[in-house]
Amino acid sequence: MKENTIALALLSALLVTPAAAQTGASKAELVRLKPNDFPTAPIEYTVVYPAGGGMDVTARLLAKYAEKWSDHRIIVNNRTGGAGMVGHAYLATQAKPDGYTVGIIANLMWGDAMLRAQGRWSYTDLEPIGYLNSDALTWVGPTEGPYKDMSVKQLVATAKDKPGTLRVATVPGSMWDYLIEQVEANTGAKVLRVPFQGGGAGINALAGGNVDIAQGFYSEFRGLADAGKVRPIGVAASERLSFLKDTPTMNEALGGNEYQWFVIRFAVVPKGTPEDRKAYLGAAIRAAMKDPELVAEYLKAGVYFDPKLTDPSRMQANLNAYAEAERAFYVKTGRLK
Amino acid sequence: MESVGGLLTGFGVILTLDNLFFCFLGSLIGTLVGVLPGVGPLAALALLLPITFTMTPVGGMVMLASIFYGAMYGGSTTSILLNIPGEAASVVTCLDGHQMAKQGRAGAALGIAAIGSFVAGTLGVIVMTFFAPTIATVAIRFGPPENFALMVLGIVCTLFMITGSPVKGALMVALGFLTAAVGIDVVNGRERFTFGSIDLSAGIELLAVVIGLFGVTEVLSNVERVVKSTLVAERIRGLWPTLADWRASWRPMLRGSGLGFVLGLVPGGGPVTASFMSYALEKRLSAHPDGFGKGAIEGVAGPESANNAAVAGSIIPVLSLGIPSNAVTALLLGALVIHGVQPGPLFIAQRPDLFWGIVASMYVGNVLLLLLNLPLVGLWVQFLRIPYRVLFPVVLLLSIVGVYSANKNVFDLWVMLAFGVAGYVLLKLKYDLAPFVIAFVLAPLLEQSLRQSLAMSPDGAMIFVQRPGTALMLVSSALLVALMVRRKPKGKPKGKAKGKPKGKPKGKPKGGSR
Repeated sequence: MKENTIALALLSALLVTPAAAQTGASKAELVRLKPNDFPTAPIEYTVVYPAGGGMDVTARLLAKYAEKWSDHRIIVNNRTGGAGMVGHAYLATQAKPDGYTVGIIANLMWGDAMLRAQGRWSYTDLEPIGYLNSDALTWVGPTEGPYKDMSVKQLVATAKDKPGTLRVATVPGSMWDYLIEQVEANTGAKVLRVPFQGGGAGINALAGGNVDIAQGFYSEFRGLADAGKVRPIGVAASERLSFLKDTPTMNEALGGNEYQWFVIRFAVVPKGTPEDRKAYLGAAIRAAMKDPELVAEYLKAGVYFDPKLTDPSRMQANLNAYAEAERAFYVKTGRLK
Repeated sequence: MESVGGLLTGFGVILTLDNLFFCFLGSLIGTLVGVLPGVGPLAALALLLPITFTMTPVGGMVMLASIFYGAMYGGSTTSILLNIPGEAASVVTCLDGHQMAKQGRAGAALGIAAIGSFVAGTLGVIVMTFFAPTIATVAIRFGPPENFALMVLGIVCTLFMITGSPVKGALMVALGFLTAAVGIDVVNGRERFTFGSIDLSAGIELLAVVIGLFGVTEVLSNVERVVKSTLVAERIRGLWPTLADWRASWRPMLRGSGLGFVLGLVPGGGPVTASFMSYALEKRLSAHPDGFGKGAIEGVAGPESANNAAVAGSIIPVLSLGIPSNAVTALLLGALVIHGVQPGPLFIAQRPDLFWGIVASMYVGNVLLLLLNLPLVGLWVQFLRIPYRVLFPVVLLLSIVGVYSANKNVFDLWVMLAFGVAGYVLLKLKYDLAPFVIAFVLAPLLEQSLRQSLAMSPDGAMIFVQRPGTALMLVSSALLVALMVRRKPKGKPKGKAKGKPKGKPKGKPKGGSR
C-alpha cells in the first residue's frame, strides 16, 4: 500500500544488506576518504536552535553515532538567537570553511536566506553534505466539543460557512501560517489565526479547548494523541506517514498537490570547505545514518525519512528543488520579487 | 492508594547507589551553577546533556532535574552576599537579602533561603505525588485569556514593589515594556525595533539584561568605594535565623510555595516570574511594608520558596502532558526524547519507574540540598571577607562566561555591558532597577496573551468577561489599583530610613535603595 512506501523503502535499505557487511563497507569508506591532515581537533556541530528542541535532539543523536563510526571528537554547540537567523548567518558568513564547522540545520534556513538575509548571504552558501530526517506539519483536531468528529474537509467547510469562528493555532511568519494561507486561498474558508511561539504551545491550547485546530509535528502531539486528547486529521506531506497510516494527507483531504510543508533536517558545511574534508565529513554522517541503532532512535523520536533525499546521489538536486518550490511560493504570494 | 504505591516504586528505583550518586552530583552541580553569577541551570543542563547519554534514563533525568532545583538553592547566595544574583530567579532576593548581609545577618538570610527552598521544594513534590495528573488536566485549560488576566494581576502587584518616587518607578516599568518590545512581533511574525540588526531580531536576552543590571552595575558601583576593602567590615552576627526570623518567615514561605507552584504550571511562567510576584505579594500583605528593601526577612523567605516551588510546578506539565512551560523544562523534555522516552498523558502508566523515580528523587534531592547548603552557609559568609580587588574581577569574569555560554553569541556580552553602565547611571539618579526587570519579564507574556485572546475571540474584548476566571482576576486587579490610589495621599517623609530596630545604624555613604 502506498502509505507504507516510506517505511518499506527504509526497512529494506536496512535489512537487505547484512549488518556485518554494512559495517565493513562504512568503515572502509571512512578510512579511504580520511584526509591525512584532518581532523586534528574536535569537529563542531553547530545547531542554531536552543538545546532540547527537535533540531538539537537530531544533532546530538547524530553526533553520538558519527563519533562512534569516525573516532573523532564531535562537539554540539547551540548558537541561538534571532529564531535561528543568528546561527544561519554565522554559518554562511563567519564560520571558517576548514571542515571543523558543520551546521546541523533545517530547511527553515531557506526562508531566512530568501526573506530575511537581505542579500547578505544566500542558501547556496551552505553546501549540504548529508540528509538526516524530516517532520511533516500535521493538522490536529479536538476529541471533544462540536468539532470532535470532523474531517479536514468538514472543518474547512465550516470555516467557509461561518467565516471567522474556527480557531486555528499558528506560528506567525512560518510554514504554519503558509499552510493556513494556502487552505484559505484555495477553499475560500476564513479562520481565526491564534498565534503561538511554537507548535507545541498550540497543541497544548487545543488539548485545553482554547483552539479548534492546531498544527504540529508527530513528536509534539504523539503523547496527547495516544491518550485520546487530540487526533491527527491531515498531514502536509506528499504521502501518508508510516506511523499515521489512517491520517490522510492534506492533499487527499482537500484535493490538491501543494499542501506540502515539512521540516527537512540536513548537515551543511560553509561554501569553500576543501573537497576532501567535505567528502570525509559526509561519509562519517552516512556511516552514522546507516547504523540501525541511530535509525531506530530517530524513528522513536517520531521523525520520518524522505525517500527523495535518502539517496545521496539525488539529495543535492532534490533539496534544491524543494528550495526552489519554496521560493516559488514566496514569489506567488508577493513576499519575494 | 495508587500514589503511595507509585512513590514506593519510585523509592525502590532511586535508592540504588548509582541513582543516589547522580542525585547528589546533580544537587552539587546545581548549587554551584546557582552560586556562580551568570551561569544558570539552562547553560549547565545544555552542557551536561551529552553526559547523560551514557547513563540510564532514570539516572540522567534525576541528575538533570536535581541541577534545575539545586540551582534555585544556590541562586540566592551571591544575591545575599554580593547583591549580584546567581541567576535570574534570584534577582529579587538581592533587595532584602543583601541589606540583611550588610547588617551582619547574612547567615540568617542564607539559612532562611535554604530552609524556604527546602519547604517549598518538598511541598511541591508532595502535591506532585498525589495530584500530578489532575493538576495537569486543569492547567491545560488555562488559556490565553486567563494568562492575560494573571499577568495583569502580576503587574499590578509589582506596582507595590516600587520604592521611592512612584513616577520614577512607573518610568522604569514603562522602560521595561519598551525594551521587551524589541524583537519579533508575536502576531504577524515581523521584526520590530530591531533597526535591521540580526542580533536584535529575537529580542534582548533576559540573562544578559539581569547580569548587566545587577552584576556589572554592582561591580561598577563598588569600584568607587575602593577605600573599604571588604563588603562587610563589621562582625557577622549569628549564622542562624532567630526565633523572630522564623515567626516572620513561615507564612511567606507557605504563600511563596503555593504561588510559585501555580506559576510554574502555567505556560510562560516559571521561577523568575514566581520570585518577583511572591516578593510583591509579601510586601503587599506585610504589616510593615516600609521595612521592605531594608532587610526584611519576608522578602527573602517568600521569593526563595516561590522559585523552588515553581520548579516542581513546571516539571508537572512536562512529565504528564509532554509540554514544557519554559526553556529549562524544554531541555528536560529533549533529554527524555534523546533517551527514547516520549512524555505525555500516558507517561505515568507506561513508564512508572521513570516517573516515580523522578518524583522520589526530588524528595531525596531536597533533603540532600538542605544538608549540603546549611553547612555551606558558614563557608559562604566567609566570602564577605575577600577583598574587593580579588572578588569583583572574578565575579565579572564569571558573569561574562555565564552570559556567553547561554547562547554563544558575543552580542549578548555587549548587551550585558550596556545594561551594566545604564544600571549604574540609573542607580546614581536614584531609579529602582527591579521594576524594570519584572516589567521586562512580564511584558512579552502579557502582550502575547492579550493578542492571542483577541485573535481567538469572535466577539473581541468580550472574551475577558465571558470567561469567569479571567473576569475574576481582572476585577481583583482593578480593586487593587483602586486601593493603591486611595492610600496614596499619605506621602512618606523621605530621608531617615527607619530600618529594623535591630539593624545597627551604619555610616555608609550610599544606602541600598534597591
